[in-house]
Amino acid sequence: MADASIEFKGSSFTLSVLHLKTSMLAHIRADLTKKVAQAPDFFHLVPVVVSIEQVAGLIDYQAVKALIEEFNFIFVGFTGAIEKEQRQVIRQLGFSFVNTAKASAADKSTLVKDTAAKQSSASQTGSTTPATTCHLYTDKVHRGQIRSGQQLYAKEQNLVIIGSVSAGAEVIADGNIHIYGSLRGRAIAGAKGHHKAQIYCQNLEAELVSINGNYWLSESMEAHWGSPVYIHLTDSELTSSKLI
Amino acid sequence: MARIIVVTSGKGGVGKTTSSAAIGLGLALKGHKVVLIDFDIGLRNLDLIMGCERRVVYDFVNVINGEATLNQALIKDKRVSSLSILPASQTRDKDALNKENVGKVLEELGKSYDFIVCDSPAGIEAGAMMALYYADEAIVTTNPEVSSVRDSDRILGMLASRSRRAELGLEPIKEHLLLTRYSPKRVEEGEMLSVEDVKDILSIPLLGVIPESQAVLKASNAGEPVILDTESDAGKAYQDVIERLLGEEVEFRFIQAEKKGILSRLFGG
Repeated sequence: MADASIEFKGSSFTLSVLHLKTSMLAHIRADLTKKVAQAPDFFHLVPVVVSIEQVAGLIDYQAVKALIEEFNFIFVGFTGAIEKEQRQVIRQLGFSFVNTAKASAADKSTLVKDTAAKQSSASQTGSTTPATTCHLYTDKVHRGQIRSGQQLYAKEQNLVIIGSVSAGAEVIADGNIHIYGSLRGRAIAGAKGHHKAQIYCQNLEAELVSINGNYWLSESMEAHWGSPVYIHLTDSELTSSKLI
Repeated sequence: MARIIVVTSGKGGVGKTTSSAAIGLGLALKGHKVVLIDFDIGLRNLDLIMGCERRVVYDFVNVINGEATLNQALIKDKRVSSLSILPASQTRDKDALNKENVGKVLEELGKSYDFIVCDSPAGIEAGAMMALYYADEAIVTTNPEVSSVRDSDRILGMLASRSRRAELGLEPIKEHLLLTRYSPKRVEEGEMLSVEDVKDILSIPLLGVIPESQAVLKASNAGEPVILDTESDAGKAYQDVIERLLGEEVEFRFIQAEKKGILSRLFGG
């Protein structure tokens, strides 16, 4: 029982993110002074992640950290959708770089826009999902009920069903799934890897819902069972929210 | 043109044959010319329920194979002259039927009958597909119980995709829900799905609700379709079904539990 005294577990927290829009320290200082003056207690010893996504040009990381700490924030690390090389620089300076779900998705989209060379660098970083983030999908509309034993797949499309999906039926889309009726069967959205795919239904009584490979069985849907709901991914966790 | 009605369900034992017999006889009693066809090849049952099992000489398969004419195989009902029965074969299996020849037989029957009622076998295999292929209307027989509802849902999918009407892109088969073996008391106690539950899941129009009744078993054993038992709840409920099939608006009966009087409530009667 060598490690009985400690345990490592992943967990998610809400952290304040300070979005920098410039690398000019004087400007940052001036704006921070104003901001903190509004609610000094609120900002005191608050852990902060600094997003450098919107900053063009060179950044003095050391100075940014020092500046943040001067205002009594606890500096956690840097974040933002930035180039791999830049991330390495940050790490080499001894700062932590915090990956966000949003950042990594945005990261992928920039890669898609870029050349094939960048694509290969994506595979080097171990990204297994295909980089299909250009989701301007058209809709496949089905009128009527999807019965038990039937399967409907909207390939590279969103799926709109005007009717219910029966228990034992399966609806799949590479994009979003909208069900104007009850969902009692299985719904699989973002089937080819689409982090932002969502499932909407007017009555959630599903056997299974899945987005981008993350799935829930009925037992996980108790919170919104029988309600109009949309289901989406936050980080890599499925979340359901009431529609009305 | 004759209306071809298939009585189907997916699941076995829910009351397809009982309903086929009652509906066939009920329509004939209204003066329509009706032929009842038993598609359950190998498990000949309809003739028993109709009480004509001793008069079967030739059957559906003989007609299909050209071994007998339709007139030789059709059995005229002794109670109602406008009703005929085309029995299934006891000795063959379901593969004995083929689409083309079944089509020819139905076409031939359509010339002289108003209604062709097809009693489907259970399951979703060739036999059941054959029974529903040529249908204009389908009576989906369902018990208020989850597995039966699931199977009915599956059959409704088949009706919409595997029938002649679906293949030719014609107007889809008209679907009717027939809820059988319904017990309002057990619904109230939460043991059974309610009419509303089943309607909500299957979302097809309700044709009738047949209450669970002792009269049904008695009628089957006697070879007298339960619709003839005008005193029984089940008989009355099938009468209503006939009215609705013929386009009448009839209020649904037997879907509420009987209110007990104060005395019977006190003495647990």
